[in-house]
Amino acid sequence: MEALDHRQRAERIERSIAKCGDADHEMKIEGAMLAGTHWVNFILHRMGVTGANLDVMHSYMLTVNELRKYSVADAEMMAAIAEIEDIRPAHVRGNVPGGPSAADRALLLLATLRGKAQKLFD
Amino acid sequence: MNIASHLDKIDRFEKLRARLDTMGDFELWFWAAMNAGTNAVNAALHHAGATVADDVFPTQPGVYLVPGKDGALEPAFRAPGDVLHVGRPKIESKLPTDVTEMMLAMEVIEHHRDPCIRGERDATPEIAAECAQALAKVLALFSQRMSTPGKAWKP
Repeated sequence: MEALDHRQRAERIERSIAKCGDADHEMKIEGAMLAGTHWVNFILHRMGVTGANLDVMHSYMLTVNELRKYSVADAEMMAAIAEIEDIRPAHVRGNVPGGPSAADRALLLLATLRGKAQKLFD
Repeated sequence: MNIASHLDKIDRFEKLRARLDTMGDFELWFWAAMNAGTNAVNAALHHAGATVADDVFPTQPGVYLVPGKDGALEPAFRAPGDVLHVGRPKIESKLPTDVTEMMLAMEVIEHHRDPCIRGERDATPEIAAECAQALAKVLALFSQRMSTPGKAWKP
């Protein structure tokens, strides 16, 4: 997918996240994962690290080599998307107490990713 | 996960989906639908005795977050509990017809996941309608199962 498409999709998902309420911590986390992944792909494409034909889907599905390479591009970015992914089992697929706080953390990480994209390419 | 928690999630996902604009918020609308349906399938599998209704949470097929000695969650191998998506992992035991029908309906939704959410295929009102119809079937079958006299689930 082209970088601009990633950006437009990330922004649209973030507008949808804004419609989530206090009881919707799972979809805030999932939205952060979906939008955050688009921001990661936007950044990687714009940096020239990956092309439009090579999108990251889930950080945990990357090969070790890919993760190392993308972390050279921006280690904090890859750590942020990995942390969002790590929140999901307990609070989206699970019922561990603290879901709303976990969602706040996911949205903070999403803001970090958005901020990186804007700082680098706006 | 236990059945009561699955029911709670389905209820909240459906309330959110009703508030979202189907096309304007398609990604999250779709994701809420997919999650509602997957929770219904998982609860139905537990109810049918095909999978374990335990409060352990899948990270990948066969691997679950389980409480460790100090209470913190840690990954471990476990017998099939919740599936991540229908077919991931495949449940090998013979399943009741209604649960199989639920899973087939979920495949209609899953079919659109990567192209429309991750890929470059734009969602259309027809795709949204197809997903909504499939989820309605999943939830109707689930409701029927959970309220069948003699087998009705009680908290």
